Parts: sequence; C-alpha cells; structure tokens
Amino acid sequence: MANVDIAAIRADWVGRVFQEFDIVVDRERMLEFAISGGETDPRFIDPDDPEFQASTGFPTHVNVARMLPDDFPQIGTGGIDGGKSIEWYKPMRAGDHLHAEVQIADLYEKTGRSGTMVFIVNRMTFTDADGEPVAMVDWRMIRQD
Amino acid sequence: MILDLHTHSIRSDDGRAKVANYCQWIRKKELPLDGVVLTEHRQFDDESDYRELEDQYGLLILKASEVETDYGHVLVFGVNEDMVHAFDFARIDNPLPMVLAAAKRCGGFAVPCHPGRRNVGLFSHYEERGPVDDVEVVEIYNGGSIPGEDERSRQEAQKYGYRGIGGSDSHIVSRIGLCATEFVDDIATMDDLVAAISAGRCEARTWRT
Repeated sequence: MANVDIAAIRADWVGRVFQEFDIVVDRERMLEFAISGGETDPRFIDPDDPEFQASTGFPTHVNVARMLPDDFPQIGTGGIDGGKSIEWYKPMRAGDHLHAEVQIADLYEKTGRSGTMVFIVNRMTFTDADGEPVAMVDWRMIRQD
Repeated sequence: MILDLHTHSIRSDDGRAKVANYCQWIRKKELPLDGVVLTEHRQFDDESDYRELEDQYGLLILKASEVETDYGHVLVFGVNEDMVHAFDFARIDNPLPMVLAAAKRCGGFAVPCHPGRRNVGLFSHYEERGPVDDVEVVEIYNGGSIPGEDERSRQEAQKYGYRGIGGSDSHIVSRIGLCATEFVDDIATMDDLVAAISAGRCEARTWRT
C-alpha cells in the first residue's frame, strides 16, 4: 500500500493494549443475543438449564469505545469488516464479572482480486475475576487504497 | 494418485476448515483424492503434525505454502529451512524470479497459482510487464476461479508452453477436491511431489461443472 510502512506500524503497535474495561455479564443480554441469533440449544436460551451460558457469538456484541488507538496512523481509506473469530476457554455465565483488554494483535498486507489490502486485527480478551482467560475475539478490519 | 495441491486450513487467516474436517469430508463424500497439500498464506507451517490424521483416514497430508509476489500468488512446494531464510514469506511483493530461483536452489519448486486472475494472477501482470523466464508450471485449474479465469489460465499456459497443475484453493471443507492433480507415480513425500511436478509426471484435473 502506497506511503504506508507496514513493518514500522507493526513494530510500533502490535501487542500494545490501548483500552481496558470491566463488564458484568447480563442475563437478559445473553438471552436476547441467543434468541435473536436463532439459537435453540437450551444451554443458551433457557436460564433454568444447569449449563446456561453465553452463546458462541456473544462476546462479539461487546462494543468498545475505540476500535483503534487514538493516535493510530491512517491506513488507506474506508473499511470493510473482515470477520470475527472467537476462541473460548471457559463458559461465560450470567453475573460473571469480566475484565476486557483490547489490543492490536496483528497487522498485515495481502493481495486479492481487488488489489492490496491491509488487515488490522483488533483483539479483545476477556478474563474472569481470578484472572483466568474466558474468551478472545479477533476482529479483522480491512483497509484499501 | 490424485492430490489436491492447493488448500488452506485455519492456519491461514482466511481459512475456515480444520484439517481433520477436510479428511472427514473426503471420506464421507468418497472423493477420489489420495491426499492434500496445505498451502497456508504467506507462511510455512512447520509446527502442525498431521501424521495421526494420515493414519486415521488413509490420506497423504503434505505442507507447502502460498506466497505473494510482484507477479501474483505462487505455490511453493518443498519448503525447508533454507527456503524460509531465502526470502520473506510474509511479504506481498517478493520478486517472482527470485522466488522461482530460490525454490529451485533449495530443492523445491514454485508454481504461480490462479494465473488468469486479475491482480493476483501471473498473466494479468504479463500484460503490463511481459513474461518471466523460468516459469515452467502454472495452476490451470483453481477451485476458487470465477468464470473465465481458468479458461484464460489454460489458454495462456498453452501459449507460453507451461505445464499445468490443479488445486481447489479451498478455505472451507465443502470446496476440497474441486480441482486436483493426478500423478503418474505414487507420491509418499514432498520430495516425491517436487520431483513429479518438476518432471511433468502429472496432469491437472477438475470436477467443477
């Protein structure tokens, strides 16, 4: 991508946590998210189920105030959602107190039919009150010239 | 012996298929494949060990890479320690002549893939910059091609006298085996594969309709 030194930006930014916040997992939000997504598994839609927990995609609903650090360099224009991936380590339960950290996990270029693209991977990691990892969401943002 | 020479697993940033699921799909659908080559984007996976899956499913699972060059994407077979130090697999602008030469010098073989594709295909760059010496083989059947791309790949390959291979370029399980390569000899190792492609003892196949 013209006029952008990806290696330098990687060196400066990858791995740097730029936002932290705490959440309490809300039972109604869990239910709403699961039901609106078409879940049918009682673990996700029945609060009386002994294994009631957040559905697979639930961590993606957590909105961060900043997708990128305030002083992050401008790369290309516009943006396309390159998709999200979630890695689970333990169930997320109603009432859990979680701590979230947001960082730039990766930054890389690739080429495709439409030209050169830069992928910025925004990673949100959730840990529980004991500091144990609960889930990790990687969101890929695509920028183009 | 038929191998899908171009596949991506979850090791690739855009891959959504686990290798175990590829194996399950091949057997469940009774596909005529004897194995696959994993060609993860811009990297060589020297960590994953698929020998248990090979034994469980009776499939050959080899590892290679898909790198990016100034003439488009290129499959690199026979990746070894020398080769990963010969050029930067993560770059998107490796000079194609350098990749071709480095692959050979290190005992491997490089094959431009989906050459009929805009921007990332060899022949779209030939329009602007002319042909590159030392290209011998290109991927003439690619499971991810849109209409017209493989046709162009075959026409231009014939024009330049290049031999052809095939691969599905699958990123999800249901795309595995759409295109592949049939080998005259049995292939048991990456060295066998490199020797067979180098010698032209293989033929591209497609099952796309």
